Amino acid sequence: MSKILEVKNLVTKFYTLDGVVNAVNGVSFDLEEGETLAIVGESGSGKSVTMMSLLGLIPMPPGKIESGEVIFYGHQDLLQLTPAELRDVRGGQIGFVFQDPISTLNPILTIGEQISETLTRHKGMSKEQAREHTLKLLAQVGIPDPELRYKAYPFQFSGGMRQRVVIAIAIACNPQIIIADEPTTALDVTVQAQIVELFKQLRETLDVSVIWITHDLGVVAGIADRALVMYGGRPAEIAPVDDLYERPQHPYTLGLLGALPRLDDKEAKRLVSIKGTPPDLLIPLQHCPFAWRCEYAYDRCWQEIPPLITVGEAHQVSCFYDLKQGGPRDV
Amino acid sequence: MSDNNALLKVQNLKKHFPIAGGFFGRIVGAVRAVDGISFDIARGETLGMVGESGCGKSTAGRAILQLHKPTSGRVFFEGKDLTLSSSEEIRQLRPKMQMIFQDPYATLNPRHSVAKIVGEPLVIHGMMKMGSRELKDRVAELLDLVGMDPVYMRRFPHEFSGGQRQRIGIARAFSLNPDFIVCDEPISALDVSIQAQVVNLMQDLQEQLGVAYLFIAHDMSMVKHISHRIVVMYLGKVMELTERNTLFDNPLHPYTQSLNSAVPIPLPRLERQRKRFILKGDPPSPANPPSGCVFHTRCPLTEERCITAEPEFREIHPGHFVACHLADERGSSKLL
Repeated sequence: MSKILEVKNLVTKFYTLDGVVNAVNGVSFDLEEGETLAIVGESGSGKSVTMMSLLGLIPMPPGKIESGEVIFYGHQDLLQLTPAELRDVRGGQIGFVFQDPISTLNPILTIGEQISETLTRHKGMSKEQAREHTLKLLAQVGIPDPELRYKAYPFQFSGGMRQRVVIAIAIACNPQIIIADEPTTALDVTVQAQIVELFKQLRETLDVSVIWITHDLGVVAGIADRALVMYGGRPAEIAPVDDLYERPQHPYTLGLLGALPRLDDKEAKRLVSIKGTPPDLLIPLQHCPFAWRCEYAYDRCWQEIPPLITVGEAHQVSCFYDLKQGGPRDV
Repeated sequence: MSDNNALLKVQNLKKHFPIAGGFFGRIVGAVRAVDGISFDIARGETLGMVGESGCGKSTAGRAILQLHKPTSGRVFFEGKDLTLSSSEEIRQLRPKMQMIFQDPYATLNPRHSVAKIVGEPLVIHGMMKMGSRELKDRVAELLDLVGMDPVYMRRFPHEFSGGQRQRIGIARAFSLNPDFIVCDEPISALDVSIQAQVVNLMQDLQEQLGVAYLFIAHDMSMVKHISHRIVVMYLGKVMELTERNTLFDNPLHPYTQSLNSAVPIPLPRLERQRKRFILKGDPPSPANPPSGCVFHTRCPLTEERCITAEPEFREIHPGHFVACHLADERGSSKLL
């Protein structure tokens, strides 16, 4: 497998009236070809800002990408592209799906027009070709009666169907990467299962890499190959999913997993709760962002920002405490 | 647990909202938000209520507390029929039945201090005087109960995070020593790590004070975690009602089975191997519900009788109620 996307030391800040919001404080990760990577975190963890930074969707001002590199496909640094060049990449080689399909779609254009537009814009198709291809895409994402639905408006669709339309737009130009930001959060659980299933099918047929951003560790378990857990704008842990769920190495990951009740639990165990609240991003980071809430924190955690430390095959964790050995990590 | 000394008894409760239309705003139809639900809740019990958006679970909670006047049906609280009671009589009963709301931002008055928010129910019901020493002590006690430092009582809601605001809402609900609390999606607006804090707090309070909860939520795993028994709703009707483990080990209604199957389990090894049944389509509109069994448009087992006749909500095993024509001892209603 080869890398298709490489993010290096991304730092994004927002200069607001209240002060500087340190939204992303040095995030690095790779995406392999054909892989599904989940980025998991709670609100304010920086997961969405990371994605918007890669795509040049940060409103500037107040936002500013302070540093970092985003190498796409071995050559381009996405952060150095002009807005016009970025527009070619977005919706072309990189497709995306947002959380709320109703605000993603244009309410006064038919869904057929919205999908065709992507094709005429990026693939240079004629109107007729684009229409033909759109009908195929609608069938591919599981929308019945494509001919009829082509002329429908977004308000005539349910939430799940709208999300299917957004997915059709995302895959229209055969992208190499699809970035999905909480694509199932606004949906009911039975519809969520349909969309997850659709993603699994598309991943097989299209041979595409997926970045799936979510707060839900349950959904991730079924779809991702690897997961990156974020906290306070920094990566806390990154590992293949089996490793992450069965042998979490960061106290935050451990806490998150303990906080989730499981449907297959026989006895109602008491949930593990992580004390305290997420960090205030207005305070510049000078130590581990989780130290306030961590029961294992010792003096070093309050002095340095822990780097990503390799602890197993493809398993990295940014923590000075060794959960396995039960003592300070030797680095 | 369902016997005559139940704390709360709901019988065939309905709440329809009129749809106005046409030139003169005539009534042209009704949204059947809650369409004939029955169950009861024992003292100190948690009854979970799950369903997808639009199934009427929040309306049911409000109709029980008479915050929405029910269209028909009866609600008995400690044997007294609330639907026949005057508003003054209901006001007298209010201290015993309280509510915790979903959105901790919208439900706290931003111009009131925490002391006022938590203490106000006591003043309204004439138990204590505003500004009295006694009231201040009680507010401090309540804040302590929900795990907040009493010094916070002078602060205002905007100074708190979502989880802390929800604690304030819980302190307010507990201020009058209620016997019953309707919890309408109390944790959906919170982050995962904070959800666990609030759920643990609610369980601790139940253990200490013996309060009964109607816990309304869409998150099946969390409902299963906190409830003793669970009601599954779909399009204003109860599909299945039973004890928590039975609902997951031996669900009889096809809708319950597909809900269970749609909920992900946070363990990749298990999740990949799971046999699952994925329901097609979306829930229909409660303004125009399907004939017969309301679930027949999405059910893979639909037969002729499901389209024509509404299934009776019947007790298949002791304490296990199902509204499905096919449900029986032999498992004729099983999907997998």
